[in-house]
Amino acid sequence: MVAFGVIASVIGIAIGLAIDWFPVQGSTQGEKIDTFWDVLIICSVPFFVLVVTVVLFAVRDFRMRPGQENLDGPPIHGNTKLEVVWTAVPAMLLVGLCTYAYIVLDDIEKAPAKGPERVVKVTGEQFTWTFEYNEGGKKFKTAQLYVPNGESVKFDVGSKDVIHDFWVPAWRMKIDAVPGITTTYRITPKRLGNYPVVCAELCGLGHAFMRQTAHVLDKAAFDRWVQQQVQRTAGGGAAAGGAAGGGGQSASADAKALFTTGNSAGATACGGCHTLAEAGTTGAVGPNLDQVLKGKDEAFIRESIVDPKAEIAKGFPDAMPTNYGDALSGPELDALVKYLAEVSK
Amino acid sequence: MEAAAISASHVHDDHHHGPPPANRSSRVEPALLGMLLFIISEIMVFGAFFTAYFFIRVVADEGTWFPVDGKDLPKLIAGVNTAILISSSFTLHWAENALKLGNRRAFRAGMVATFLLGATFLFVQINEYVHIGFSPQDHAYGTVFYGLTGLHGAHVTIGLVLLGMVTIRAFRGHFSAEEHRGVEVPGIYWHFVDVMWIVVYTTVYIL
Amino acid sequence: MSVKLRNPGWYRAGLYVVLAAVLAFGLSWAVRAAYGHDTYAHFLDAESIVIIGMIALPLAFLVGIGCFDYWFYWASGRPTRPEDHSGHGAHSWRDYFRPNTDHKVIGIQYTVTSFFFLFVGGLMAMLMRAELAQPGRQFVDASTFNGLFSVHASVLIFLFIIPVFAGLANFVLPLMIGAPDMGSFASGWTAYAPLSTTAPDGQVFFTIGVQFAGASSIATALNFLVTIITMRAPGMSFFRMPLLAWANFSTSLLVVIATPFIAASQFFVLLDWALGFNFFNAAKGGDVLMYQHVFWFYSHPAVYIMMLPGFGIISEVLAVKARKPIFGYRMMAFSLLAIVVLGFTVWAHHMFVSGMQAWIRIPMMVTTAIIAVPTGIKIFSWLATLWRGVLHLDTPMLFALGFLTMFTLGGISGVMLAMVPLDIHVSDTYFIVAHIHYVLFGGSLFTIFAGVYYWFPKMTGRMYDERLGRIHFWSTLIFFNATFAPMHLIGVQGMPRRVADYADQFAGWNLAISLASFALGLSTLVFAYNMIASWRGGARASANPWRALTLEWQVSSPPPVFNFDQVPTVVGGPYEYGVPGAVHGIFGPAKPAEVKATPAGTHAEPVRE
Repeated sequence: MVAFGVIASVIGIAIGLAIDWFPVQGSTQGEKIDTFWDVLIICSVPFFVLVVTVVLFAVRDFRMRPGQENLDGPPIHGNTKLEVVWTAVPAMLLVGLCTYAYIVLDDIEKAPAKGPERVVKVTGEQFTWTFEYNEGGKKFKTAQLYVPNGESVKFDVGSKDVIHDFWVPAWRMKIDAVPGITTTYRITPKRLGNYPVVCAELCGLGHAFMRQTAHVLDKAAFDRWVQQQVQRTAGGGAAAGGAAGGGGQSASADAKALFTTGNSAGATACGGCHTLAEAGTTGAVGPNLDQVLKGKDEAFIRESIVDPKAEIAKGFPDAMPTNYGDALSGPELDALVKYLAEVSK
Repeated sequence: MEAAAISASHVHDDHHHGPPPANRSSRVEPALLGMLLFIISEIMVFGAFFTAYFFIRVVADEGTWFPVDGKDLPKLIAGVNTAILISSSFTLHWAENALKLGNRRAFRAGMVATFLLGATFLFVQINEYVHIGFSPQDHAYGTVFYGLTGLHGAHVTIGLVLLGMVTIRAFRGHFSAEEHRGVEVPGIYWHFVDVMWIVVYTTVYIL
Repeated sequence: MSVKLRNPGWYRAGLYVVLAAVLAFGLSWAVRAAYGHDTYAHFLDAESIVIIGMIALPLAFLVGIGCFDYWFYWASGRPTRPEDHSGHGAHSWRDYFRPNTDHKVIGIQYTVTSFFFLFVGGLMAMLMRAELAQPGRQFVDASTFNGLFSVHASVLIFLFIIPVFAGLANFVLPLMIGAPDMGSFASGWTAYAPLSTTAPDGQVFFTIGVQFAGASSIATALNFLVTIITMRAPGMSFFRMPLLAWANFSTSLLVVIATPFIAASQFFVLLDWALGFNFFNAAKGGDVLMYQHVFWFYSHPAVYIMMLPGFGIISEVLAVKARKPIFGYRMMAFSLLAIVVLGFTVWAHHMFVSGMQAWIRIPMMVTTAIIAVPTGIKIFSWLATLWRGVLHLDTPMLFALGFLTMFTLGGISGVMLAMVPLDIHVSDTYFIVAHIHYVLFGGSLFTIFAGVYYWFPKMTGRMYDERLGRIHFWSTLIFFNATFAPMHLIGVQGMPRRVADYADQFAGWNLAISLASFALGLSTLVFAYNMIASWRGGARASANPWRALTLEWQVSSPPPVFNFDQVPTVVGGPYEYGVPGAVHGIFGPAKPAEVKATPAGTHAEPVRE
């Protein structure tokens, strides 16, 4: 039985370590957490194997055989030595694990040893995230998260309405966004790419669609992006938007892209919540735009985007983000309003 | 199994007119034990409200505890009120002792005095609400103040209903030196309400 | 008719509900008029109707049906009519639909009603899995989906697991400890069967529903405590009690101490919502996190409220089916108490990512890990109980063994979750969903199935169908694992819980999970059929088909109306299997000489050393 248990444990641990459990490892914090997971697998599998093995062998060796219907087992009431062992051994193992967990926790939360740290203010609201930067005294807000690779960044997380939870699975860390207080965590990205930003705390009807993207850029690209944002907020919105959008496309195509994917530095996608046949979106959190915009003029559409609370379609929650007025540049808003007015006629 | 042989002799009897008397395996009476356990439960209700108090006053720590917006808690009047409520515990104890000694007159007088003292406390408390000048809707401190004192007030009301019934029964000639459980159990509840008030008064008004 | 209206029962309950409605709405109208509100416009607004209706009407119903009669009689000094047993016992199936004062009938009413809610909650899970079978929106919209998982959880926790344990214990416990009925402290416990038909729906319903469910579970717990402490049979010392009694004793302590906290937390929500209080309004100095602290201070012990009675059931089943005494009986009892105490020190492990003070996480991590020690003691002691026994592998035993293995998995993932660095990543993901289902399904539900099969002969006087029972066990075990094991993986990979839609990368696993969950749903139909068919036409059960020693098996099946003609005398431990001549309790005055003449069984020669 012991041999069986040892072999099964080894196989179990091997399988546990071979499975690709985690999403892409995108931060130095992730390395430590993933290693910690491996240690947990190595410690846990033998316990499970022990229980299953004893049950299986007991069933094989001590099951009632024909003719034993009236037999009883030996009256063993206990064994102090054994009981001490199975109290003390797990206790010591658990204390060990807790100590290791404490070390890891301390490691992933401590501030970088040198240099000032970038602080990004993250604000959750139903159902979007807004990111506030302060780059060398220049402040600007975006709806997509951009961070430079290899530099520690601290997130100050808050909420405007209910509790949300700011989570980028690739970075492994998460924290609740709580109205009234500021919560924080920090990560050091170590891999270029785009990763989903997820809300991990149920926050209302649009919770499943509260998704944005975290872009990890190299230092040079990040600096260029910062430049763009500074220009955009300084009033050069049209120029920056043109540069980002690629210039030559028609306004209608731009607006449709805006509708289905949001903008690179502004708003979340309209199509995530709204159905619009022309754009091929099927969202159902908000009203179907093919229906509610029929026969409406541009002024109404503009008001509905900039100030969604002004008139709420019957039967739908007051759930639309109120940041489109800030997040869309003037020309973007004009194009979107025109596009919606045209396609919903 | 052979043990079943014992039950074989046990014949189901439909004409049996009641259960056998239960064995009494504890010196504590069921009603008394029930009340004591219920009071543990009640303490935990207050505990939850005190947790709210702790979080809003200490953890959130925004602004100072009363006076808020120039409106303070009437410490002195509430202090006098506290004395009234505590003295009702003594009159209740006096009434119980009198009953155990067989002095029905003193028992009745004690019950009436206890009931009146409790009612006075409740009246002063309501009067305080009317004149205090802020509402639970104004700020979280007001919420906590009304929450804790209101919860306690509700308990005083329940206690008064119980005492009222005991008092009426006292005048109808119920209870005796031997049979006083019906006074004792509501009495324990009343003492609990009094002790709880001392805690509420200390934390909300004084500290 | 007027007699019917004056005596407790359905008629009086109906009358009181009507009276209460008139009175409550009239009162609210009068108060509004006195304050100069526009009473006619607001007289019928939804909020006041909901709140008044939810509070006043159930209360009136309970008073009407007779729950508080005992108290009113007692308080007013009138005779409490303890001799009236006309509402006692069930003679035909119709008696199960009437208010009853027999603990056994109430136990069965409770158990059956709870199983109805198991199917309701299970159906909701099926609907959710149907929606989740593919990414995108198929059957239900986000709002329905949010409603589904909220109600799924509250129905199964508050209306299935907690009451079904109370139901089983209500039936078995007084028999087990040699009490003729439950304690006479409060007759209010007849209340819960009708109460549990008020399924919570929507936030307010949930809030007020919890108040009532909480009040009734506190009443139940007080009753269990009073019964166990004051009504044990002569000779039944605490260390001669069956472990089920110990388990219910511990559970009841938890309920009495913890439930007030959830009542208060829901009370705060109600005050904020209905009267504009500021408990959670950060703008006016309230504290949002306070709700979570108060809520979890109840809800974590609640997990043990859903676990400890199951531990008790498993101890009964394993000892009888392995034909051996429970290994380390005293440690088993003490570990229950240790779990009760430690259970109150771990609540904030639900809040590692909530933004609470960072330092609290460390002590909570340690206490949470340490609570695995008494739990481990129980698991290892059960394993040692199996060793060298004579295992009867019938349905209750299979479910008990299934529990041992599945609950161990749930415990292991629990220890993993206690570790803060990992919890930061996996909290609010499907890893949590997997963990709670291994604990509540693989843990609690398996013990419930074990208990129901084990006591079915005693409750109904019939045997269940063994073949169907085995089919039920194996299909449950296989499809349970097929449903919930992959959730560990997709959780760690980053699929958040409580979402109606998810990224395409999780599509394959979710389809597999949905298919397995439908099969799991079907497997419970086997159980339902077995129970109904066997109750109607199963073979007659003898008094003691399992050759068990505990007292409930020493009376007829089903037990006589008043349990015992004479309270039994307890002369030994409850699990003395294999001890020659051992008996737990005897009826009639103690005659030790006679007892020795009835050997409880002979030793099995160890089959293999």
